[in-house]
Amino acid sequence: MPAETHVEQQPLGPDDVFSLLRERLAEILEIDEANITREASFRDDLDADSLALIELVEVIEAELGERTVGFSVDDEDLAELHTVREAVDYVVARLAAAGGGG
Amino acid sequence: MTKGRHNGDTGHRRTVAVDAMGGDRAPGEIVAGALQAARELDVQVLLVGRRDEIAPLLPSGEMPEGVELVEASEVISMDDEPLAAVRQMKDSSIMRAFEAVRDGRAHAMVSAGNTGAVTTGAVLRLGRFKGVPSPAIAVPIPVPGHHPQLLVDGGAVVDPAPERLVQYALMGREYAQARWDIATPRIGLLSNGEEAGKGDELRKAAFPLLQSVPGFLGNVEGRDFMHHDVVDVIVTDGFTGNVALKSLEGALRAVSSVVFGVFEQSPEGREASKLVMAPLLAAANDFSPDVVGGAVLLGIKGITVISHGSSSARAITNAVQIAADCARRGMVERIRKAVADAG
Repeated sequence: MPAETHVEQQPLGPDDVFSLLRERLAEILEIDEANITREASFRDDLDADSLALIELVEVIEAELGERTVGFSVDDEDLAELHTVREAVDYVVARLAAAGGGG
Repeated sequence: MTKGRHNGDTGHRRTVAVDAMGGDRAPGEIVAGALQAARELDVQVLLVGRRDEIAPLLPSGEMPEGVELVEASEVISMDDEPLAAVRQMKDSSIMRAFEAVRDGRAHAMVSAGNTGAVTTGAVLRLGRFKGVPSPAIAVPIPVPGHHPQLLVDGGAVVDPAPERLVQYALMGREYAQARWDIATPRIGLLSNGEEAGKGDELRKAAFPLLQSVPGFLGNVEGRDFMHHDVVDVIVTDGFTGNVALKSLEGALRAVSSVVFGVFEQSPEGREASKLVMAPLLAAANDFSPDVVGGAVLLGIKGITVISHGSSSARAITNAVQIAADCARRGMVERIRKAVADAG
């Protein structure tokens, strides 16, 4: 890749991941981003069903997979992610494991 | 073929991606039905699946004119858990068929495979319309001598909000208008009595909302299925919709067993069967799910036809015809607009 076209991407931190998750989740659930807090429970507070969560996972994998090769969400871990904060922490940890986290 | 061309395309021939690996009788009956569709209908077919299993089923081992292979190495079985299967088997015939639609290679897809996986795949690969949390399954109900009735929802969402039933009515209305040329489809809410106050909390809440939908005539009952004189589109939640469907199937099976059993019980019966068996079989044909055709997912940004799990070649040919017909009639755009206009 020519040097002038190579842009070094900054690692994503928890705040970046939260912003991304909140934005995409708001699109999927068609709700205001302001309703999505770190403490929000996917099911109890946001009324997100399994299909909505899988949509979120696929979108996040596609977006983060482009900048961090090897980033993926393990389906077996999904059942343990109840709140937005847990999801953010999980994604940050997976990014770090894949070499793209902050 | 360029991406996105199909949505506004008013050209003649339509391309349908057929999941060759889905269904109890796949790939044999599926491939046979798809090839028949390519021969007899004005369609092109993409056969999606494993080359080594499809190739032996082709005449002379080669793709006939109007048929193309799209390779997919994995198969989602009828018993697989839908969400996990769709996530893990990205090279499955179901997902590759959806990608053919998404990428503009096909106008529509047909599958006789795992209904949950097809529904989930449709959401992930084609997407939902804004305002539609998840698709509904529109199932044609045979009505002898007339166009079918449409049941929405046949089992996709077991506990929808009352507002969803209004969406079902609007989408079902568009479908009935577009496919069967009914100017103002009569829409009924399936309940346990015709009176407005009848039903559970869902029905009581949905009834006043549905009154804004043109053609809504109020509650209908289970006995109104399969009759042309009352209702064209029957709206209900996926739980009762699926129970109603299976009840109809069971009742029809029982009735046909009784009727045909009579002919075996006595010499007179066997003699009578020589006279009436042919017209009886012809009449029974009207009730065959292979003839009535597949269910359609409503609320998705693409045409998806779900044929029943034990589909024969004829069922697949009919499903391809439905898929192509939906594409020709601009079903996706019509339903998108109906949902958007309703806010």
